[in-house]
Amino acid sequence: MSSRLIAPFALLGAALLAVGWSIREGQLPPADFTFNNGTEVKSFDPAVLIDNASGRIAWALYEGLVRLSPEDRTAMPGMADSWEISDDGRTYTFNLRPGAVWSNGDPVVAQDFVYSMRRFLDPQTQCEYAYQAWYLKNARKYSRAMRGLEPGDPVEVELHTPPKGASPFARGELVYGKLLRVEEDPSATPNELADDDKYTEFRTFVIKPEAAKPETEKPGAEGEEPGDGGEQSAGGELRFRVNADEGATFADARVCKQVLLDFREVGIRAVDERTVETVLQDPTPYWLELLGFYPLSPVNQRCIEEHGPKEWVKPENLVTNGAYRVEFHRLRDRIRLKKNPLYWDAQNVAIETIDAMAVESQETAFKLYETGQIDWCEKTPALIAKELLKADPPRRDLNPAPYLATYFYAFNTDRKPFDDPRVRRALALAIDRQEIISVAGAGEEPALSLSPPGLPGYTAPRCPPADPARARELLAEAGFPGGVGFPKIEILYNNNEGHATVAEMVRKQWRRNLQINVAAGNQEFTTVLKNQREQNYDVTRRGWIGDYMDPNTFLDMFVTGGENNQTGWSNAEYDRLIRGAAKEPDTKKRLDMLRRAEEVLMDELPIMPIYYYVSRNLVRPTVHGFYNNTQDSHPLWALRIEDDASLPNDYFPAAAESPQAEPAAADEAEAAAAQAGAAP
Amino acid sequence: MITFIVRRLIWMVVTLWVVFTISFFLMRFAPGGPYMSEKVLPPEIEAQRKREYHLDKPLPVQYWLRIKQLASGDLGRSTKTDVRVSRLIGEGLPVSLAMGLLALTIAFVVGMPAGILSAVFRGSGVDLSMMSVATVGIALPNFVVAGFAIILFVFTIPLLPAGGWGTLEQLVLPAMCLGLPYAAYVARIARTGMLDVLSQDHIRTAQAKGLAPATVVLRHALPTALLPVVSFLGPAVAGILTGSPVVEQIFAIPGLGWHFVQSASNRDYPVAMGMVLLYTALLYTMNLLVDLSYGVLDPRVEWK
Repeated sequence: MSSRLIAPFALLGAALLAVGWSIREGQLPPADFTFNNGTEVKSFDPAVLIDNASGRIAWALYEGLVRLSPEDRTAMPGMADSWEISDDGRTYTFNLRPGAVWSNGDPVVAQDFVYSMRRFLDPQTQCEYAYQAWYLKNARKYSRAMRGLEPGDPVEVELHTPPKGASPFARGELVYGKLLRVEEDPSATPNELADDDKYTEFRTFVIKPEAAKPETEKPGAEGEEPGDGGEQSAGGELRFRVNADEGATFADARVCKQVLLDFREVGIRAVDERTVETVLQDPTPYWLELLGFYPLSPVNQRCIEEHGPKEWVKPENLVTNGAYRVEFHRLRDRIRLKKNPLYWDAQNVAIETIDAMAVESQETAFKLYETGQIDWCEKTPALIAKELLKADPPRRDLNPAPYLATYFYAFNTDRKPFDDPRVRRALALAIDRQEIISVAGAGEEPALSLSPPGLPGYTAPRCPPADPARARELLAEAGFPGGVGFPKIEILYNNNEGHATVAEMVRKQWRRNLQINVAAGNQEFTTVLKNQREQNYDVTRRGWIGDYMDPNTFLDMFVTGGENNQTGWSNAEYDRLIRGAAKEPDTKKRLDMLRRAEEVLMDELPIMPIYYYVSRNLVRPTVHGFYNNTQDSHPLWALRIEDDASLPNDYFPAAAESPQAEPAAADEAEAAAAQAGAAP
Repeated sequence: MITFIVRRLIWMVVTLWVVFTISFFLMRFAPGGPYMSEKVLPPEIEAQRKREYHLDKPLPVQYWLRIKQLASGDLGRSTKTDVRVSRLIGEGLPVSLAMGLLALTIAFVVGMPAGILSAVFRGSGVDLSMMSVATVGIALPNFVVAGFAIILFVFTIPLLPAGGWGTLEQLVLPAMCLGLPYAAYVARIARTGMLDVLSQDHIRTAQAKGLAPATVVLRHALPTALLPVVSFLGPAVAGILTGSPVVEQIFAIPGLGWHFVQSASNRDYPVAMGMVLLYTALLYTMNLLVDLSYGVLDPRVEWK
């Protein structure tokens, strides 16, 4: 053979060797339980998470003051083994469990919760869910930092460098005092002063420092000693400019990282080492459940301050307090969780190792499930689920159930013709939800309200169901008889097969029933978000998943100017009801106010509900401790595996023939009755 | 040869800079940004996030800061997850490379013999059937091949796993789906190259000397016939690398390809930039290697 031919063959050999090496690196012993988590997790820092996949892992790694029951997601003892609620419903006192420890062996103490809450509310941590803790007294003000302050407020000024002797990544040194005034730069133009993005750029914060060092009453830990720094002027005032750059210099002021409300004003404190007290702004019936929500999990101060804000979440550094620990994390492949032997309830955690796969494609996940590589597939594509539900004998591993989420279309009410409620009503009356679901869904329920069924004590008022004749009448009243003169409108949605099918169906139905010209336009996800935010659309697809078991999580979205309103819709009566409900201590009255607000919403229809989502978990029959619930969340610590697959499990109780229909049907009958009573 | 390599490496730096500049501005002109989320961020957090990624500064300043950061060898950190881009590449690249190398190997091991055979037996049934298969192979995108392959080898005949990463079996199907369309190209190019060479004088001389047909083909014709195939290696690597996101997704392979797609749609600027630069460097290096190999394969070529 020619010597010139050796090179290609040598290359080929080298290539195969490299492949072999790479595969050897990837080999693993299997875990006891493997499931698809759907995507890569965002972080192991629970405070910054907002997505289900990351939340599932956070719930396995951390435990809050309470934990949520796997069955119905109500609060049960977690890090706190008991609590008392004051008569006015505002003060909660939690008694910490004696055996609760961090995975490094340190006890979990009350200060950990105070520290974690402060960090959670601090805008520097960038927690998107921070508003979930704004029920605490003054928490919102703390979270809004400079923008929330008014003269006279007690404040803490965070300097750039930590105090001497603190950990390298501790918070900057704090100066406590009273905010005297906020001075606007005389050189700044009114436009610059009005620009919210540059709020801190043109302002000086003048404070009167606190006289005595108050560290003895202070709830925080070492890093929070008041400083002796700051250029003290004659009147005992200190002047601060906020700038991210530590080296920045100002003629008459000292640079600081941020100015916040004094955290001691916020309604959380450590009464003693084992007691945490939270004080709420208004009585909030779902506060306990919120405390069990993963972003409010405690984090370990020592770990964070030793390794820094980005590095502490590495598996080798991470200190957690939940049922599992991270053994390793292979990006886009899997996270291996290992049972935490120090967890207080370790004897009731059944599975030793769990693999959370990051398979993005639901079809692929389904194939992995079918070929036995995973035991739980968190979402089954609608078209596949439809086939599986037809299987005979019926499968024991798929049981769609309603959960707290609604799929809807929003109208841009700042644009003609959507500014006319009659047009919106006509459009909403002209769609056949059942037909849409029969094509694009599998087991979903048609939605006639924004709040889905299953919220305790609440039956949502409904908008009228399909009525094409009435729709045509309304459209004619609005000045478009027979669709004549109606402008061409576009449905905006993000690239996705399911959304495309729904948009196509809606388009067809509108054209059929109203003779109007409709286009469907898809864009990539981030572009859609931007266009929605800038109200650069006619009609757009949206979905909302409830954050907690209360209609408020859906309804407060549409208050005037609400960040997630994005329809331009505004209604004084609605705003009044939502605001009033937030202050109302009586649960029944409160829910009644929310119901009236939703009535307004369903009459004005700035949005058009299409269906309530259903969960579609594929779970091996050998898995126990997995329950269908309205939040579609299934804590890993509750799962266990039985060898005998024929035993009835919690996901598919043997008694009920078609359990998925029942809770929803009951709710609907009730809602229909309520509707009948209120019908005009 | 050394000056040739050095010169090419200098050009590589220039290419990287141009690619960086174009991608930088293209990314900034795409609507939205890393602070976009399904729920609208409160202004305090949005301001914080913009500051963290220097998005609050004017574009030229951002550009300068990024280029300084890159020049110091730091690719930055993902804006969507809290991992460094270097870790992302460190974990994903071996996987992508393993799959890509196996796919290339399949492409050449299947394509070369097929091309040579159909050239040698030109016009016969063998030629016709192989070239028909090759034409179909070129026409079919890899995700279609993947669909058929999964139905056949995973569900009908349960031979191979449906996806995942960690064993050789799990790599066979994705590498096949990625490599087979390229095998078709290789076969056609090899066939043309071989036919070209077989009609030349030195081959006729070899045949006239009475050498065995196999010797004539393998020893005298093959090295020259390889040249067009080798030059196809550059585009093939490009295609296999950029074609991998789809295959990676279908087979749940934790390679790099999907980061590329995901980072673009998430406006994860540092990751997207890291991927673009990595791909540029890889392709440039591959083309350089191809050019160098010409000199080995063809004595007429000189490196200049």
